Amino acid sequence: MDMKTYTTDVVVIGGGGAACRAAIEVSEKGLNSMMLDKGRPGRSGATPCALWSIQAPFGPRGRDQRDTPEQYFEDMVKAGRFIGDQNIAEIVAFTACDRILDMEKYGVHFKKYDDGRFFQTPMPGQTYPRSCFMIENGQHMSTVLAKEVSRRDNIQVLKDFFVFDLLKNGDVVVGVIGMDLLTGELVAVNAKSTVMATGGYTSLWGFSDNPPTLTGDGVAMAYLAGADIVDLEFNQYYGTDVIWPPSVKGAVVLYELMIDEFADGEITDKDGNIIIEKPLPIRDEAIKIIFETIKAGKGTPHGGVYFDTTLSPKGEDAVRDVFKNMTPKHYKFLIDAAGIDLAKEPLEVAPASHYQCGGIYINGRGQATVEGLYACGECAGNFQGANRLAGSALCDTQTTGAHVGGCSADDAKNRDMLPADKSNLNEKKELVNMFLSKKNKSTRPLFIKEEILKTMDQHMAPFRNEKGMEKGLSLIQSLSEQLENIQVPEIKRYNFELEEALEARLMVDAAKITFGSAMFRKESRGHHNREDYPDTDNKNWRCHTIVKQVDGKPQYSKRDVIYTRMKPQD
Amino acid sequence: MAKDKIKAKIQRYDPEKDQKPYFQEYVVEIDRELTVHELLTKIHKNYDGTLAYRAYKCFKGMCTTCIVKLDGKTVRSCATRVEPGSEITIEPAGGGALIRDLVVDFKKM
Ligand SMILES: Cc1cc2nc3c(=O)[nH]c(=O)nc-3n(C[C@H](O)[C@H](O)[C@H](O)COP(=O)(O)OP(=O)(O)OC[C@H]3O[C@@H](n4cnc5c(N)ncnc54)[C@H](O)[C@@H]3O)c2cc1C
Ligand code: FES
Repeated sequence: MDMKTYTTDVVVIGGGGAACRAAIEVSEKGLNSMMLDKGRPGRSGATPCALWSIQAPFGPRGRDQRDTPEQYFEDMVKAGRFIGDQNIAEIVAFTACDRILDMEKYGVHFKKYDDGRFFQTPMPGQTYPRSCFMIENGQHMSTVLAKEVSRRDNIQVLKDFFVFDLLKNGDVVVGVIGMDLLTGELVAVNAKSTVMATGGYTSLWGFSDNPPTLTGDGVAMAYLAGADIVDLEFNQYYGTDVIWPPSVKGAVVLYELMIDEFADGEITDKDGNIIIEKPLPIRDEAIKIIFETIKAGKGTPHGGVYFDTTLSPKGEDAVRDVFKNMTPKHYKFLIDAAGIDLAKEPLEVAPASHYQCGGIYINGRGQATVEGLYACGECAGNFQGANRLAGSALCDTQTTGAHVGGCSADDAKNRDMLPADKSNLNEKKELVNMFLSKKNKSTRPLFIKEEILKTMDQHMAPFRNEKGMEKGLSLIQSLSEQLENIQVPEIKRYNFELEEALEARLMVDAAKITFGSAMFRKESRGHHNREDYPDTDNKNWRCHTIVKQVDGKPQYSKRDVIYTRMKPQD
Repeated sequence: MAKDKIKAKIQRYDPEKDQKPYFQEYVVEIDRELTVHELLTKIHKNYDGTLAYRAYKCFKGMCTTCIVKLDGKTVRSCATRVEPGSEITIEPAGGGALIRDLVVDFKKM
């Protein structure tokens, strides 16, 4: 296979909110960058799927003048159950407002009061209403950011470009290798700084409300390059994702919309009993209630609970207006794809995989533990802790995106361009050849991927135990042995199965270390519930779980959390 | 529901080896109404792994990456349903250069 090589100052992997913001910051610093996206920037990843909610503590410039960055910081730390690194949480809380103003400058539309203050909605876990309201939701945010990227001459974008490994020179990361799906070419991008912004691993699970592209590639590549990975056991499930009918399975409907200010409906069991009281709990608590209802045999026919707006005292028309005004596209999608009108009928929903709280371990400048590598947005790991608040994720994409993008550029100014080791490059080429070569007993990558998703759904659900996880891990191990049987057709253009093969290789590693991390943490906290260790153990486990590859094997350890402004009280 | 069928004529074209685009017909067994996107996924999985379509997308009606021409009309495949028993034609949409089968090169963002 032929290989093309590009050289640039900073290479950014991803095309969501974090990647776009990082690339914009590199551009502001006057350096060249390349942005590589598996899909199409602005239309790929989780960012376009998001709703209106992006947190920023505007205080007097927003809905409640009492709100402050200090309060946002405190809310985040508490929701994260005290295991988020506070040096990074500070960056999120204290730069949020500035980054929202940047977004407004780029062209994102926010709802305002007549006097120009930001309209903000209350969400569970926010001391004061803090979610700014993007009128056209995440979809518009991501296209606006992508447009801002395309306006800048010093950012080169490659879309439909699948990155499948990092390149190294000795111990230093010096760029990436990937496949241009449109042409079928192998492409190496050599850079002084490499920024991961690949989003979450949420679609390692079959029942997920995220796009299927989000398979944890960034985490797996960083792990394989020797970087520390942190807290993978905390996969945030979201409580109310559609479980039936299949054509819209995984579509998100927000339980946060059930407060009296909005739809004022209820989450109920199969008999119509209200199971989630108001004020609404934060997400880790909400999913526990829903799981317990289902476990107690009070679930709906397809194994969920009801999202029921027909119980609202406001009446059908008022409820419909809420959905039409707040989440217009999500509302219409259910009608188009399944003929379901949320304002008219109860919907069966259940907890699905939603957000990766852990990820690549970074320091206060966004550097991973391997020289040359950075991470921002959802794929970066150690600042959310064990749970995250509504509206925090989009805020992270902008705050960490800008901060880490800027640091990666500053460092690139002081770094030489190192070529990738020849042996390293050849290894990656071999990988592609392996999947293309003829086999006696061949399999399709699709089948391996399906098994991974099934295994995660079954054995890495929010409630888990040692026995189940051991089973899951051994299933993943046997899948990783089957990788070498994969055979894909020799097609040049848009060889999707070749991409899936390379993806499956990364997925087995991401899955393996997720199991390992969850088995390592012997307590329950946030989104990690061990049936065999049901209590939170602050004495032994108020710390990070770290996994790192040593001699080809994962090695697990603990690491202290960084506290700056707020130490736990006990 | 008893097994039913959808007859789908799909445009195929690999510029590396085909002179010009042609149609291939797939008869797909289904047991419920499904979206065009679900239908393509089923064909790719159970009938023909070489069919190129965009599977990497949001599945939420948000990204418009899934657009195709269904009986001549541009639709989002994830948000458009087909009835059991129907006969349909699917062609690429979006206007960019044809890459392969239903996949086009979306113009610069
Ligand atoms: C349905 C839904 C609703 C949500 N609503 C909200 C909300 O209202 N408020 C909020 O704060 N948060 C919300 N979130 C969470 C939030 O949207 C995400 O956490 C956030 O958008 C992540 O941004 P990101 O840029 O880090 O990653 P993403 O937006 O997921 O982008 C990742 C990018 O990396 C690319 N990529 C991945 N792997 C590769 C590879 N190997 N090679 C090349 N490119 C690759 C992808 O194509 C994509 O462009 C929601 C999430 C979902 C799923
Ligand atoms: S898959 Fe995104 S709009 Fe259809």
